[in-house]
Amino acid sequence: MHKKQSRDIVLFILGGVVLYFLSGVVDELRVYQGATIAVYVIAISSIILLTGYSGQVSLGHGALMAVGAYAAAVAHIELKLPIILCFVIAVLASAVGGALLGAAAARLSGPYLAGTTLALAIGLPSLANQFGVLGGEQGLLFDVGFPPLSLGEEFTQYKWFFWIAGLAALISMWAIKNILGSRYGRTWRAIRGNDVAAQLCGINIARSKILAFTISAGIAGLAGALLSMTIGTVSPSAFPLALSFSLLTGAVLSGITTLAGAMIGAVVLVAIPEIADVVAHRIGSSERVTTNLPGFLVSALLIVTVLFVPNGPVEQHRARKAKHLASQK
Amino acid sequence: MDLLNTFLIGITAGTIYALMAISMVLVWRSTRVVNFAQAGMALLSTYFGYEAVTRLESFWIALPVAMIGGALVAALVEMILIRLLVKHSTSGPIAGVAPIIATLGLLGVIRSISAMIWGGQDLRIVGPVSNDGFTINATTLVFSPLKLLILVTVLVLMLILSVIFQKTNIGLALRASAYAPEIARLSGIKVDWVRTLGWALAGATGAVAGMFQTVNGNGTLSPDSIEFSLLLVSGFIAAVIGGLDSLIGAVIGGLVLGLMISFVLMYVSSGLFFIAPFVILLTILFIRPQGVFGAKAARRA
Repeated sequence: MHKKQSRDIVLFILGGVVLYFLSGVVDELRVYQGATIAVYVIAISSIILLTGYSGQVSLGHGALMAVGAYAAAVAHIELKLPIILCFVIAVLASAVGGALLGAAAARLSGPYLAGTTLALAIGLPSLANQFGVLGGEQGLLFDVGFPPLSLGEEFTQYKWFFWIAGLAALISMWAIKNILGSRYGRTWRAIRGNDVAAQLCGINIARSKILAFTISAGIAGLAGALLSMTIGTVSPSAFPLALSFSLLTGAVLSGITTLAGAMIGAVVLVAIPEIADVVAHRIGSSERVTTNLPGFLVSALLIVTVLFVPNGPVEQHRARKAKHLASQK
Repeated sequence: MDLLNTFLIGITAGTIYALMAISMVLVWRSTRVVNFAQAGMALLSTYFGYEAVTRLESFWIALPVAMIGGALVAALVEMILIRLLVKHSTSGPIAGVAPIIATLGLLGVIRSISAMIWGGQDLRIVGPVSNDGFTINATTLVFSPLKLLILVTVLVLMLILSVIFQKTNIGLALRASAYAPEIARLSGIKVDWVRTLGWALAGATGAVAGMFQTVNGNGTLSPDSIEFSLLLVSGFIAAVIGGLDSLIGAVIGGLVLGLMISFVLMYVSSGLFFIAPFVILLTILFIRPQGVFGAKAARRA
């Protein structure tokens, strides 16, 4: 176990180095998309932790991301805190929100929970219009500042975003991986597998479920703060219901229990608008089709995945291999 | 006067939510799926209704057109999507959430297809009668002939539905398949087709909700309209208040929700338009997690 862990750390550092060199050779747009992918990786892994491991559904993670983003922006503007502290505050604030929601969620299951979080996703962003400090429909500016001069003249803003988001993604993936491998991760899987049996083993179901919600919300809050960093502002329109849905889509595409797959979902979510653009261009369709094609593709992909590769491509491959091995014996 | 106005607005909105809740309950009873795409299906049916209104210039022809369209769409969805879903995604960690995810995907597909066909702009559906308030003793009420008409139509529909369920063989088959599918199958009921029928009924009911929600709002229809976001959430909340399993519960849930939202908007703050339903839902689930009319076991399904 110890050996494996140190191997993982090496892998994560290697990943960081590869990303570092990549960010040097590709053009600005790709770097920006890279930052977005990193943000989605974080957000999707928070869903994987919650849905894949603790078995709870949330359609409200877009709202929790909004909580994190607003917390970071307010901390930055009103309290003038350094940017790294703002991200910490984003995590804490949304974790508190998640704990409250989790306390409600622990009493609910399946469709009830889905509907409650859905209502939250629709309702919460509109609250921003109620409080002056949150800046209403226009939202707040969230500016992390220029990259430090020590990185050189050539270092662009987008590359700076990418660095921050990439580093955050690596750190949070590493943290989630460890949490899932720990006692808590096993507890969640036990509950998802059979809650009565888990309870008989002395697991406090409600407490573990709330804990899962809290951690997942904290990670989502970090993703929210990073997302608004790349956009530059925090406003209700940045966190629509569609965001919550795409996160869920990303998690299902990744394989709802495969943390390492979060990358797949994130890349697909960023790539789909591009693909849709190319397709729409090819078939020379009208503006209506062009604007709605990405949404259509995401949703259609979601349905197809749930129907035919319900547990994700990685898991599917593993299952097929296991079957193959079994038949050879 | 404010009190009366608020009450009447709440009741009218409530009957529409009740229709939506009924369609969700019908789907839940027939396939044990909470259909998050119900509002999307209602949207699509309302677009059918819009086409009929613009061509034939009669709301009363458009309404059945929308209903038939909605029923066909729902039946197709059940035959293609839900049957596949039941067959494929029954094992592994995804099993518990697969229906939810699939219907959400369906919602996205329907929305983007409607937007592709009809565009994102507002389309106007003219109601059958005016939405200007009645005037009594020189004070104008918010309650209008249109709202009265909606109330009456919805009540008639509910009556028809309850007669179907309580007095006909089809209703008996629907109830039996929901209650005990295996035994129903043994007694010669074609459970699969009964399920499709349940979805079709739900589609038709949702279509009426969509049409009325549009004319009762500002009369415009667009894929992103606030009315349909509200319909999506309110229908679900009303159904949950009613316990997801009971038609009467759905009706009462809808009315209660409509009244509560209307009173909150009037007496607390009109800015709480979207957050009020959430708070109401949380409050109710905290007091009774299985819904006000739900049986104790309903929560677990």
